Amino acid sequence: MEFKEYYQTLGVEKTAAADEIKRAYRSLARKFHPDVSKEADASARMAEINEAYAVLSDPEKRAAFDKLSQRRASGQDFQPPPGWDAGFEYSDAGTPGENAEDFSDFFNTLFGRSARARGAGGARAQMRGGDHHAKIIIDLADAYHGAARPISLRAARLDESGHVVTDERTLDVQIPKGVKEGQSIRLRGQGSAGIGGATAGDLYLEIAFESNAAYRIDGRDVTQTVPVAPWEAALGASIEVPTPSGRVEVNVPKGSANGRKLRLKGRGIPGAGSSNSAGDLYLELELTLPPADDEKSLQLYATMKREFAAFNPRQHMNDKS
Amino acid sequence: MTRDSVFSGTLLEEQALDVQELASACAVAPEWVIERVQSGLLSVASSSGGEMRFVSTQLIRARRMATTERSFDANQELAALVTDLIEEVERLRRQLHR
Repeated sequence: MEFKEYYQTLGVEKTAAADEIKRAYRSLARKFHPDVSKEADASARMAEINEAYAVLSDPEKRAAFDKLSQRRASGQDFQPPPGWDAGFEYSDAGTPGENAEDFSDFFNTLFGRSARARGAGGARAQMRGGDHHAKIIIDLADAYHGAARPISLRAARLDESGHVVTDERTLDVQIPKGVKEGQSIRLRGQGSAGIGGATAGDLYLEIAFESNAAYRIDGRDVTQTVPVAPWEAALGASIEVPTPSGRVEVNVPKGSANGRKLRLKGRGIPGAGSSNSAGDLYLELELTLPPADDEKSLQLYATMKREFAAFNPRQHMNDKS
Repeated sequence: MTRDSVFSGTLLEEQALDVQELASACAVAPEWVIERVQSGLLSVASSSGGEMRFVSTQLIRARRMATTERSFDANQELAALVTDLIEEVERLRRQLHR
């Protein structure tokens, strides 16, 4: 187990006053706020910062931590000596209101749920396991068809000797057909194990879609850009388009302009359950010009120039000025 | 590393959370949830027979509010305002990519 140097995490001196620790924490909490920060590891950093603050903002935990840290340097392998916390009394018996399940083995061994269970005296304390939260990123196709997707999770548990060990496991989760971005799936009993025979917590998975330049998603409605040749747009055409629900034959109306949207009702993300209807699929036409990279195609463009001599694509700009 | 069989969960839209379950998921007391519903800072998905129920959007909102209150010692109105702004930023980002 790695010793955590909480003062370094918050960027404060070991002699820092409580106010200074609070200011440092708030500054870092703004910088690494998962909803706002552009840092790649914002969530992981925020968990470290929360953990450090949970200890250093509590005078009892801070005093106990200071006693331990006098003997250790950050990063060294560490096991707390027996009876390390003798003489320290934790009035709150833990960290109420914080998701201590996200904290490190180091924290959990010293101050977390296992410590609370250890300190519960002769009676074996019962405590429901904490709920866990994770985000799962899926393909749009998974929402259309449903799929089993593996997610990797790390969870702390007590071994037979009462020490916290971290298990890494991969859970295959069934993604229900028709799921939307922002919805949560609840997996009962897949959070932290309960203590003293109490029930395990739950795991909540928040759904997010993999970023895909080909699609734009709004609820269950999906917009897909479809390239078309100028003559298909001008003359009308029947084209075949691969969509998330399979290939479809679509009629491009004669005289279609660039950006025109064709609505395919009910071909968006399917409804989940009986109470929800499927979304729509919008095909947005994108006029694509053939390359002018040989003599023949250059001649064809020259012919168009001659034949469309009156056409001015910037006419509307002149009209406004 | 262990590998379990395929787990099927429940969408919160199909089986909404009650007050106790939402509180547990946010690591707060049930009173925290009730107080914010009564203040109009947190909505309910349904309220039949006096029992409040919550779905995904409320779970995410409640967790954001609780985190903001804890991290910045913010009062509940300020935390709700920050959460409103985060939700608005998310909406605008989605619109930008639409």
